[in-house]
Amino acid sequence: MTINFTRRDFLKVGGAAAGALALGHFIPPRVAEAARLSGILDATDSGYIPSMCEMCVWRCGLLAKVEQGRVVKLEGNPDHPHSRGNLCPRGQSGLMNTYDPDRVLNPLIRVGKRGEGLFRKASWEEALDLVAQNMLDIKQKYGAEAMVFSSTHNLSQPLFENLLYAFGSPNYGTQRSLCFNAMIVSNLMTYGMEEPARIYDDNLSYILLTGRNLFEAISTSETHDLSAAIDRGAKVVYLDPRFTKTAAKASEWLPIKPGMDLAFHLALLNVIVNERLYNIPFVSLNTIGFDKLQVELQPYTPAWAAPLTGIAAETITRIAREFAAAAPHALAHNGWRTSNFINSFHTQRAISILNALVGNWGVTLTGGGSEESSTLGAPPQPPYPRISAMRLDGVPWKYPVVPLKIGVFQELRDNIVKGDPYQAHGWFIARQNPAMSISDRARTLEAFGKMDFIVTMDIILNDTSWFSDVVLPEASYLERYDPLVPIGDQVFIRQPVIEPQGEAKSALWIYRQLGQRLGLGDFFQYIDEEDYLRQELAPLGVSLEEVKAKGYAQLSETPHASETSEPSWSTPSGKIELYSDTLAKVGFPGVPTWEEPPQPAEGQFYLLTGKVAQQTQFGTQNNLLLHKYSDEPRLWMNANKAASLGLADGDWVEVTSDIGKVNIRLLATQAIREDCVYLTPGYGHLSKGLTTAFGIGASDSALHVTYTDPISGGQALSQTFVTVKKA
Amino acid sequence: MTEIKHKAFLFDATRCIDCRACMVACSVENKIDMDKTRIWVAGVGVKGVFPELQRASMVYHCMHCNEPDCLSACPVGAYSKRPDGPVIYDPKKCIGCRYCMNACPFGVPHFDWDKGLVEGAFIDKCTMCPQRIDIGLEPACVATCPTDALMFGERDDLLKYAHDRLTAQPARYINHVYGENENGGTSYFILSHVPFEELGLPPLTSTPVKEVSEKVMEVTIPFALGWGAVLTGVAAGVHVYNQKKEADAKKVETSEPQTEEKK
Repeated sequence: MTINFTRRDFLKVGGAAAGALALGHFIPPRVAEAARLSGILDATDSGYIPSMCEMCVWRCGLLAKVEQGRVVKLEGNPDHPHSRGNLCPRGQSGLMNTYDPDRVLNPLIRVGKRGEGLFRKASWEEALDLVAQNMLDIKQKYGAEAMVFSSTHNLSQPLFENLLYAFGSPNYGTQRSLCFNAMIVSNLMTYGMEEPARIYDDNLSYILLTGRNLFEAISTSETHDLSAAIDRGAKVVYLDPRFTKTAAKASEWLPIKPGMDLAFHLALLNVIVNERLYNIPFVSLNTIGFDKLQVELQPYTPAWAAPLTGIAAETITRIAREFAAAAPHALAHNGWRTSNFINSFHTQRAISILNALVGNWGVTLTGGGSEESSTLGAPPQPPYPRISAMRLDGVPWKYPVVPLKIGVFQELRDNIVKGDPYQAHGWFIARQNPAMSISDRARTLEAFGKMDFIVTMDIILNDTSWFSDVVLPEASYLERYDPLVPIGDQVFIRQPVIEPQGEAKSALWIYRQLGQRLGLGDFFQYIDEEDYLRQELAPLGVSLEEVKAKGYAQLSETPHASETSEPSWSTPSGKIELYSDTLAKVGFPGVPTWEEPPQPAEGQFYLLTGKVAQQTQFGTQNNLLLHKYSDEPRLWMNANKAASLGLADGDWVEVTSDIGKVNIRLLATQAIREDCVYLTPGYGHLSKGLTTAFGIGASDSALHVTYTDPISGGQALSQTFVTVKKA
Repeated sequence: MTEIKHKAFLFDATRCIDCRACMVACSVENKIDMDKTRIWVAGVGVKGVFPELQRASMVYHCMHCNEPDCLSACPVGAYSKRPDGPVIYDPKKCIGCRYCMNACPFGVPHFDWDKGLVEGAFIDKCTMCPQRIDIGLEPACVATCPTDALMFGERDDLLKYAHDRLTAQPARYINHVYGENENGGTSYFILSHVPFEELGLPPLTSTPVKEVSEKVMEVTIPFALGWGAVLTGVAAGVHVYNQKKEADAKKVETSEPQTEEKK
């Protein structure tokens, strides 16, 4: 985002903003009326309005079918690169998030004890005044850093960041350390970018998926791309301790032992380097540190990896040779939720390096994929105040290579409990549910107990809201505007397709209102949501009306850097770093190296989690349509193993880890290794405000022990071991 | 078999990932109650022993037969086959006899116990989304499928496409287009890598169940009429007998007091 304004612009916008403020609140545009006037809806307020899905973070374009002010069906927008006319089951059921009978439609103020779930309805004025007063009190008594802010990866994030940085707190919690820190940090260290874009062209002939379960953890367009590649005859090698729906479609499924993906990938690199199967010109021209890598790889032979991984040495050698032979039309997928073991960073580095060695760059991997665009405008704003306090999550003082925008959420929670290096007193949580997401739920509830004040923003009474002092009801994604999203050379819009129900308001409105009450109005210089979007569009010369009607605007053609010049990477050396001096300087190994993860003792199992196609994390279990078409969440156990323990399919079992215990029904299946059990994540809700989801399944966060990968800060989610007995 | 010009579905089991987007899309599009569905997934589950495993799934809904058994079994003409493919059900005509449920070899029509009694809509099943296909859209299930496991188009084109695939990738599929001839031909073709029975599809000959049932009916009606005549005769006999018996009983009843009176 560029901040580029003159004093005159500043005064002009400031004046307009002050005028709007005098009215007290935004005048909500009548959605249907506006759409009718622009010809999107017909005279009976019926038709299709283009917008964007928010059932996961893939952000598919959608067409909302509206009949007389009610959304009745969602379709994938054929013009959108992420949906191409399709929506997954979550996208299809999105309207039941909006029409959830459990929606919170008024601001709520707690009247009972925390966790009792007793609230009273309040006006926005009262709720916002109360939130601002508490935040200012905490700032005055303990400093701005005593306020923790957390929110993740949503389109209003820039305004959320404005709120937290303008307020002056360094404590920014995202959920990324519970998901893809290892992948992002490894790509930053190797390629100087968070995630290279993957290219599935017609020539792609070999795909290596390390636990990337694309047929259940659906990213609509990429799921389609993988399916089409398989259909064309591409070979897919899939590593997973479970026989997932992706495993069922793969050419070769390798039920690898958990935590040993690193050994497998080091052995692949060993073969490719020692047999000189790598792309010699590409490596010598575009990478640094090959010699150091070669030395490190010597012990990691396929024969060494075989007993660790449970995969035969010949198989590993064959796959290495096949992958190199298929290159550059080969792709080793990093995976997304790569927070598995304390060695996950090295696993991710090995995968990134595998692609580099065989010279896939520009063929199956490329730069880009960023959602930030320098071509979009933004409201003017002053610079942020200087923040000198340490971050509670250990970035960068304990985790020197973890980006500030990503953080280490579980460490933040732990240091709130410890009050170390200082005590936090308030927590502002937007569209996030740490009670369910962070490992060791009891400890997260303990952290809530340390807080003088907790405020959450969500569309339903999620488990964290249940423990909050104030709940701010946000408009659902079908009821509100969010900032625009650039994808490639287009920019896409999320716009309301129906009026917000009840008193629900957009995040853009809520942040601005709070900003003004906190004396930070200069950071929110827009009159209303539409004004914000108009300021974004200003440099493009495209009208908001045009974007609203089409769903997107075409940016001026700017050729990609890779097409116009030699490839380059934003690493310190400007090359792909097989050896990273950045890592070495802070005391980490500069090349991927073997770190043996802990293994379960006799009688224990690895506790695995992983997505199902019908749910997103812990946020969708209350959606009636998804509830209708989801399988009952059960604990998977290998059927032979279950029989040997005297357990039968459907039995109620007690699952015990070092920190917690849950009861759940057993699914005895052949589709999992004997040393693992699997639990569908996101169930076992605490909030009785979720009348559909409450009482269903068991919580993985009640069992997960907190272990953190020391380099990427990723939570090691598969490193919890459990025992299982009849309940 | 004569060429049939109308719309059809093609389902490719090798591409279905059992994500259930089709089920949700159908439920929303057709405003299906939360406890009901018009699509279900059959043949789900893992087969084999670790690690030699296989998994398949099939999106199951009305096959839209060329010669629908539901239609021929319906005594009140609630079913019709549109010239462009869909087998349609008219809830206004339905009397709730459920003959269609017994007649359908695929077990598709299902009885709506809640709505039936109150609103007179007894049976529910897939309609091929006429409200969509009439304006050039694909049925809701097809339109949203993220892996192209479901396709929709002209029956002839899809049939050719299916056979071309079997020819091009013989190792990938069982060499058969299910639904091309089964039950006299349907408007729902299935390609599969596992035996069709494992997908919950009954083995059927190309003779529609309807024809078999009609042959049976040819005999049934004279038989029923004859048997009915016999039964009518028996019933008449019984009736006469009973009347006689009743009359005798009455005689006894009336005579006894008389006797007593006489006493």
